[in-house]
Amino acid sequence: MSVNGYLIVASIIFCIGALGVLMRKNLIVVFMSLELMFNAANLGLVAVSSYLNLIDGDIFVIFVMVVAAAEAAIALGIAVAFYREKGTVDIDKANELKL
Amino acid sequence: MEALFYVFSIITIFSALMVITMKNPLTSALYLVLCFFALAGFYVILDMQFLAAMQVLVYAGAIMVLVVLVIMLLNLSKIKKIKADLHQIFIAVIILIILFAEIVLYITKGSLKKPTGIYTRALINKVGNTQIIGEFLFTKYIFPFEVASILLLVAIIGAYLFAKKKY
Repeated sequence: MSVNGYLIVASIIFCIGALGVLMRKNLIVVFMSLELMFNAANLGLVAVSSYLNLIDGDIFVIFVMVVAAAEAAIALGIAVAFYREKGTVDIDKANELKL
Repeated sequence: MEALFYVFSIITIFSALMVITMKNPLTSALYLVLCFFALAGFYVILDMQFLAAMQVLVYAGAIMVLVVLVIMLLNLSKIKKIKADLHQIFIAVIILIILFAEIVLYITKGSLKKPTGIYTRALINKVGNTQIIGEFLFTKYIFPFEVASILLLVAIIGAYLFAKKKY
């Protein structure tokens, strides 16, 4: 399979993830959609680096995984704190900055 | 390989769609695990077995266990009642269709660069992909590797501060 096929699949997954971030109101599902977008980027990096006969893209994927793990810990901490404060994880309830 | 690629892409796209459409966040989490496993299959096709193992261990193992644990802490029956806004969904779908069309146009119309590196699949399979990744990680990319450890330390402290009862 050529590199274009992998890039198309990666872009489809990325768009689905972005759609989830934009249309869902559940904080946990928004977070999972973010993970989908991370994974789409990873797939693109691995495919291109395999096509160009390089390793650098694969190293980058490892760092993306590190960032995703750190982000998971922080984001779920925020989710728990938000739930404790509001009693729900509906992101429309996070409106205290609104005038 | 060709058939495997199509099988994995169908599984990945189907499960990604299920993640964002399911009402119950626990169902979404389980579909996300399926999506991660299919992506690990892509990495195996691309001869990066180490990354496939990392994908299963870190994403499908660590991160998804954390997500399921947090869903367990929250009140599931209350979460399921969150209503979606149809107007918002409409605008989001239009934005994403335009974005996808742009990306596909960019991919299909552009011309590919010629391969530049020396790490062909034959060489990677001869030396072993884990060894090559390790050599790169501890020589050329040693500084980002050390910065990543600081990032993880900051994440530990931040998660502790957020989960504390009183600020």
